[in-house]
Amino acid sequence: MEECYKKIVDAVDIETFFACKDEEEGRTLALKLLESFGLKDTDIVFIQYEGPGARVRARGYIHRAGDRYGWLEGGKKDE
Amino acid sequence: MNKEKTILLAPLDPVHDIGLKIMKRALDEAGYKTVLLPPDYQSEEIIKVALENDTGAILVSRTLGYGVAELLSKFADLAEAAGLREKATLVMGGMGVRPELAQELGYDAGFGPGTKAEELLAFLEGVEYVPEAAGANKQKSDITEPFSYKYKNKEIGELLDKIVDNILDWAKDKTSPGIKRAEVREKLLEVPYGQDRTELLDEYLSYCDQKIKDYYKDGVLPPKTRALAQEELDKLAEYVKVTQERMSVQKIQHTRKKPTVFIQYGTGCPFMDIAHIKACEAWGADGVVHFDPSWGARTEGFLEGYLTHEEDGSIITPENLMRIKGSLCDHTLWQVRAHRGLNTPETVLLAGAMGADMTKINIAYGSLGGGTDPSRLTIDAIQAIKYATKYNLSFDVVTNEELCGVPAYKAFAGMLITAHLGIRLGGRPMLQPLFCYSPEVMVSGDMEDNYIDFNAAKIRALRSIVDAPIWPGAPIGFLTQTEDRVQSSMSTALHGALAASLGVEAISIASSDEAYSGGPIAAPSRIDTLRALKEAFRFFGKAGIQATDNADKMAEGIVKGIQGVLETIVEKGSYVDSLYDGLLGSVAEGAYPGRAGRDSIIKK
Repeated sequence: MEECYKKIVDAVDIETFFACKDEEEGRTLALKLLESFGLKDTDIVFIQYEGPGARVRARGYIHRAGDRYGWLEGGKKDE
Repeated sequence: MNKEKTILLAPLDPVHDIGLKIMKRALDEAGYKTVLLPPDYQSEEIIKVALENDTGAILVSRTLGYGVAELLSKFADLAEAAGLREKATLVMGGMGVRPELAQELGYDAGFGPGTKAEELLAFLEGVEYVPEAAGANKQKSDITEPFSYKYKNKEIGELLDKIVDNILDWAKDKTSPGIKRAEVREKLLEVPYGQDRTELLDEYLSYCDQKIKDYYKDGVLPPKTRALAQEELDKLAEYVKVTQERMSVQKIQHTRKKPTVFIQYGTGCPFMDIAHIKACEAWGADGVVHFDPSWGARTEGFLEGYLTHEEDGSIITPENLMRIKGSLCDHTLWQVRAHRGLNTPETVLLAGAMGADMTKINIAYGSLGGGTDPSRLTIDAIQAIKYATKYNLSFDVVTNEELCGVPAYKAFAGMLITAHLGIRLGGRPMLQPLFCYSPEVMVSGDMEDNYIDFNAAKIRALRSIVDAPIWPGAPIGFLTQTEDRVQSSMSTALHGALAASLGVEAISIASSDEAYSGGPIAAPSRIDTLRALKEAFRFFGKAGIQATDNADKMAEGIVKGIQGVLETIVEKGSYVDSLYDGLLGSVAEGAYPGRAGRDSIIKK
């Protein structure tokens, strides 16, 4: 796993505004965007569609409770 | 720096000089001679003034933008050419300024936004700037300390006395497996490490469910649970140590002393909990509340060891609690909930033994909304309150049955009974009315116009009854938040501002993920609401939110309702039967007497 992902405590959220025709399209685009970053454990936290497009907050979990956390490796002072 | 020399503060900017004015005040207070130039001076004019004074330092400020780096660089060159660089320290500050940029442009130091005056003073005095250690600006406070617990409403006080007499009389010849386990646990905690404890453990397990026995006897863990490895524990210890050394903490109440702000944690994993707790402490949380898994509340007995599991709620074990306690800043208040379930006495015992500051107990909620048999929880709560008193834990009495649909006045009657039981047993209860958009008000329309009046009415009603601490929760704004983090944070912040305006002692806040049910709460969402709350406290300061006249009418209705419920319970002659029969919340209102632990009471 890339160092930048390891250091994420639990999840990464991506927020944007898609120009799209409806909420479903916005949802699909958001999930594809997460996928393009290599994120697998994904979900839409919030989406609101109005005429011009969809405001969306999409999430990819990097670490869930019970996992072995990459950020625990980074506690050393000299890093 | 020699205080006989002048510090020249020069806004190399057409308009902005606020940052320099703030620094001037700090420098003046520290005894320095200062000269503040007006904005829009040319570089040459500033140099001229510097030469006319015995200048020891020149502080220029400018927001970075197009061509500004050249301007600042030119100023440094002019100072050099004028011979000022040999006798004066050159400092730049402003939006976008970074130390490395200052160095690049020929300055001795650069300070960006958010710079504290102490930082600048330390630089000018040639000493290292040492930020305050984590929590040095905070002290742990006892929320209950200023309160007398005297009843202003004597009639209600007398009714509560009669009901508590009835409870204590009913309970005097009864005990439970939960109490028996707690008694054994007290002894187990005293067994020195490495010493044989088989006999005590066998006695403990004789009061436990099979799944607990399976763990102790055969090492079988509940589903989605695993033991944390020693290597992980070592890494966590290092993480906490290093984090603690480098972190500072914010105070979010601005000019107010209260409310004390609590967050709730229970990710399932004590390590993840600790990561969240440290973030919340840094962003200003004053206290943290431990959430255990719901299956733990319906299981007779506790596991042991360092355990993590993959779903909501962090397992209560002596080791998990000890590890969490060890990660907290000294000033952080710590609450371990014991308000529902079959392990209530042992939870309070462990919380006390592990150094918690407070716990949570409520018979009415735990038995009508939390799934535990009313008789069983009444017996267990009495013992839990006794442990709370023994370990000097205050406890809140939460009224979550409102979320089932029970009207506030009935929930408050139940809360006051448990609180009075606590007072009679020498405890220090805290009243926890919900600041929520409850089913009751959805139906009544009492919050149709605003979220202020009914919440204000609750506080006024309770204040008119008894002099006791009030800690709205849990969390504030419950059922007003959506999955939109802006709306969610805003709602929390406004409810926090209302709570501050009402002068309550504490609040519990949610994260901006409160309404999101698709996955675990993420750490950044906790920071969202802490930041929003801080902004609300900054905005209102000691000013506040004003309720309409409706609040007083609503408060009167609540008090009248509480009194009516208490009178009916006294007439009935049995608190426990009143719970089963719906006097403190009926089936029609969504309150169901719990079944966990039914028929488990043991005659002494």
